[in-house]
Amino acid sequence: MIKTKLAAGLMAACAMTAPAFADKLDDIIASGTLRCAVVLDFPPMGMRDESNNPIGFDVDYCNDLAAALGVTAEIVETPFPERIPALMSGRVDVGVASTSDTLERAKTVGMSIPYYAFENAVVANDKVEMTTWEDMKGKTVGATAGTYEAIWLEKQVNEWGEGSFRPYQTQADVFLALSQGQLDATVSTVEVANANVKSGNFPGIRVVDKAPMVPDYVALFTMRNEYGLINYLNLFVNQQVRTGRYAELYKKWVGEGEPANLAIPGVYR
Amino acid sequence: MFNYTFQWKQALARLPQMLDGAIVTMQIAILSMAIGILLAVVLTMFRLSGNRALSAIAKTWVEIARNTPALFQIYMAHFGLGSFGIHLSPFASILLGITFNNAGYLTENFRGALKAIPDTQTRAGRSLGFGAAGAFRYIVLPQMLRISFLPMTNQMVWAILMTSLGVTVGMNSDLYGVTQDLNALTFRTFELFAVAAVIFYLITKVITLGARLVASRLFRY
Repeated sequence: MIKTKLAAGLMAACAMTAPAFADKLDDIIASGTLRCAVVLDFPPMGMRDESNNPIGFDVDYCNDLAAALGVTAEIVETPFPERIPALMSGRVDVGVASTSDTLERAKTVGMSIPYYAFENAVVANDKVEMTTWEDMKGKTVGATAGTYEAIWLEKQVNEWGEGSFRPYQTQADVFLALSQGQLDATVSTVEVANANVKSGNFPGIRVVDKAPMVPDYVALFTMRNEYGLINYLNLFVNQQVRTGRYAELYKKWVGEGEPANLAIPGVYR
Repeated sequence: MFNYTFQWKQALARLPQMLDGAIVTMQIAILSMAIGILLAVVLTMFRLSGNRALSAIAKTWVEIARNTPALFQIYMAHFGLGSFGIHLSPFASILLGITFNNAGYLTENFRGALKAIPDTQTRAGRSLGFGAAGAFRYIVLPQMLRISFLPMTNQMVWAILMTSLGVTVGMNSDLYGVTQDLNALTFRTFELFAVAAVIFYLITKVITLGARLVASRLFRY
């Protein structure tokens, strides 16, 4: 009797100490909830429908990931600059937030293999004469603070040594400023550019040219030391492509055509 | 809870850029205070003028400046005016927004200060041969500025902290904007903002201590 009690006690103690060794992947499975950081100001990747529910490519991607893990998904809205604080302060488990996988950032967070790739377009105000992306030289340009295209554009403006660059906090502010004529041009992903030109919310803007950047590969991210979870994310991205779900989501949110190739020829990842 | 390794060197390497940003922050704050004080004196005179239209202007200004968020005022200076085709640069927008806010609050400060100056001062001045304007200019105004000197430093501190709202209108050269830019680049959020917070703290501390020193020198009776 005493022995069984002791054994039970020991087992309970073991069970209680066990979570200390559990990694993030275990924590997610145990909690039954996957909390994803998603940017909901970035159509068609993340946005809200008429009844204010989060929808978009990234939202579906998070739901798929949660389904694969057998847990429920919780979408946590995070503006671009707040993705990392949200992760580090433990408000989210992973970021499904169209995050460019730069080497500089990978020093801070752990990136999965790319799950999407953007091409970028130059969008201009109708009153500004522009035919190619190089006409941005000397103009007032801007982009969403903290994005790949903003980093590229600011660097470009500094190289030109003329014109000025303004980062706005949200994609909507960028297009509002562009539509008002505060900005002459912006660089945004082709998806966002087309969605915003088509929506009619921002009159007086047009797509001018493609921006000559390396495709903007975006990755899922989590804590840098969570190898278990990162491994899982890598396999998940692979499976999404393999099962055709990637192409399906592309067709659903972006449109007809082939989604970008996520493998880079000539190199392993 | 905090599963994170701090890399202070990465943030400190960016310190020169952040200090450049701090200078821009100071410029905005000082300019907005200088213009704000002038405007507040004018608004106070509007109030005292007895002219209905003028005091209505002063009253409306103070009401809007004090009862709406500074963020709203700055946003309106940029996107609000922008929708009427008036395009201000981010620097001009933040300067306009904070100046508007400063002028409103300072007008209220001045009103409080005026209450502390007995009417008999003006009457004594008038009986010594000053006109109404002269009595205000030489007797009331210096005392008003003296009484409201420390509240003014409060507003100065507030102005410095309000510059951080400039990021909403595309400002990227002030301390907060620079920090936000570096954050996007490196994702070293905590380190960078901790450094920015220290710089903000030091600036405001120097200003409040400096103002106290100046006050103890200038206002000895």
